[in-house]
Amino acid sequence: MEITGSLSVLGAGFAFGVGAIGPAIGIGMIGAKTIESMARQPEMAGRLQTTMFIALALAEAIALFGFVLAFVLMGQ
Amino acid sequence: MDKIGEGVEHLLHELSVLSINGHEVPSSGFVLTNYGFFLIIASLVTLTFFVLGARRVKLRPDSRYGSLVEAGVEFVRDNLIGDIMGKAGQKYLTFVGTVFFFVLFNNLIGLIPGSKPGTGTMGTTVTWALVVFVTYHAIGIKKHGFFGYLKHYWPKGVWAPLAAFVALLEVISDFIRPLTLSVRLFANMYAGHIMLGIFSIFAALMFEASGVMKVVAILPIALQVALYALELFVAVIQAYIFAVLTAVYINGALGSH
Repeated sequence: MEITGSLSVLGAGFAFGVGAIGPAIGIGMIGAKTIESMARQPEMAGRLQTTMFIALALAEAIALFGFVLAFVLMGQ
Repeated sequence: MDKIGEGVEHLLHELSVLSINGHEVPSSGFVLTNYGFFLIIASLVTLTFFVLGARRVKLRPDSRYGSLVEAGVEFVRDNLIGDIMGKAGQKYLTFVGTVFFFVLFNNLIGLIPGSKPGTGTMGTTVTWALVVFVTYHAIGIKKHGFFGYLKHYWPKGVWAPLAAFVALLEVISDFIRPLTLSVRLFANMYAGHIMLGIFSIFAALMFEASGVMKVVAILPIALQVALYALELFVAVIQAYIFAVLTAVYINGALGSH
């Protein structure tokens, strides 16, 4: 098999793939801890959910930077 | 394999910013783009939704439509403002509510096949993020005065060099906010549409192929339905997150911390 394409495509793949590892772990921990807290204090579920979404959004943004960077690299 | 590559290239071209009749955007002069067109439609939908709703305001809504609008406004009041800013935040209901419903209608209109989300391009999201950025600083300056507002970056009772370092970090993180706010919304919408498009390409290619592949095409079609449901969820969640963060930033500028 012949290998074609430029290294920037490889870089784009890495930018998104490796960049998504950290946020994925973070989002998993946020979800797990929120469920734990909700089970412990069901009356707080509403407020916990709001806070969870904020934390989730902050973690997710980092993964999406990788996604945008991948497209920038693809265009090189 | 080449057919997939061609399909992806065509998809990316479709999703890029073009003029409304499908030509490249010229480098100068005004042109209505494909995203701009749906942005205007979403604005009109938002406007009609609330103008019609405001005509039906009653102590007890007696029409289905009136109840729908009231439920929407109540959601913003209780879940977006109430949980984060409490009673003091009620006067920012109009701003946060506008942000929420505008982004929501943009995202939802983008999911109708053949249309595009107005929020699926950086231009729209950066503009909205800057509007939020300017607004929450203006609110903070109005409440504390210019120097009083600047003071909230400086932590009290900390060794001066350390405090300067913390203040520097605070200022930097403040300027990153519009960046993350805009990239998050844009990338979510863009990535979602690419994902839907790629599964459509798979389905179409399998359906064109002969024999058993025609039956296997049911898999990407089933996945497509599931992804569409996910995108519907993402459209609402992203509008919610955009509005929640707006409320959080305004709350921070008001200086309760």
